[in-house]
Amino acid sequence: MNHTSHKSIGLMRPPLAELETKARWLALLLLAIGLHVFEASLPSLGPWFKPGLANLVTLLALVMMGPRAAITLALARVVVGSFFIGTLFTPTFMIAMAGGLTAALVMIAAWRWIPGISLVGISLLGALSHMLAQFVCVEALFIQQAALYYALPPLLILSCISGWINGALAEYICARLAHEKI
Amino acid sequence: MPSLNLDAPVRQSMFDALKGTWTDRLLLCLALISIFTAWFVIQAQIAAGPAMAEIYHGKTLLATYPLPKPGEAAISLQVEGDLGMSEIVIDEHGARIATSPCSSQRCVLSGAHSHAGDMIACVPNRILITLRGSAESKFDAIVE
Repeated sequence: MNHTSHKSIGLMRPPLAELETKARWLALLLLAIGLHVFEASLPSLGPWFKPGLANLVTLLALVMMGPRAAITLALARVVVGSFFIGTLFTPTFMIAMAGGLTAALVMIAAWRWIPGISLVGISLLGALSHMLAQFVCVEALFIQQAALYYALPPLLILSCISGWINGALAEYICARLAHEKI
Repeated sequence: MPSLNLDAPVRQSMFDALKGTWTDRLLLCLALISIFTAWFVIQAQIAAGPAMAEIYHGKTLLATYPLPKPGEAAISLQVEGDLGMSEIVIDEHGARIATSPCSSQRCVLSGAHSHAGDMIACVPNRILITLRGSAESKFDAIVE
């Protein structure tokens, strides 16, 4: 009897730690997609304003797994989320993609280079850049009018509030995860 | 660059976490100062003059209408966007999109707006209505 094939399959099994990392990333992605769909079904709180809970998961991915995981999670969340809400390649999709990716990049930059910042500050910058990127995207692609930006200041103030609260939530979640050694 | 560990800023409760660090507070202050400054500058620019509604499609300014005073006839117009015709109604309550060919209908659901700086945007149909001028000034005499 030749057991070589069985053995080689056994040897090719990826290490447990790698599988755990992938499983954790997928769990975060599923959570982000769920929150993305939930936020899309909320009644509109103003033009393009949402509480930003899906971006909170991007922040969690950043601190738990690093910048690459955060970027891929933001991308995958917007694409897969749009399958569920039926907005793939519509303006809503483009706006969400611009906001999600910009927020992820800004949060990575803040996390790397701003000394003394906590998740609260990172989330605040993420929320503000998310809102700005949405307006820039609309102005660049759909309605080329600077008048759009007149609506920005009150929405940015709401972003400050939601970003701050989401950052505190992220800190709390990270502290709990670290405490329970998950 | 901070390390990738989970326990970098460990806090005991949500209330503690809400306080943030001094860097966070400084960033918040800077953000709020910038936002309020921009807001006042924008308001100063657009609040002058009588209340007007400007209607755009993409890059083009299609029309500018004064908001009717109470008792005056409402203005109803059809505007062609990328998806089709949007019906815009401008009456004493402000400007609103009455019908739109877009699927989300968020522009229709947002209702009538009359304050300077308000806007109604239908991104799929690329229609934008902005309001400028103060509603009060329409009762004042305008001397040219």
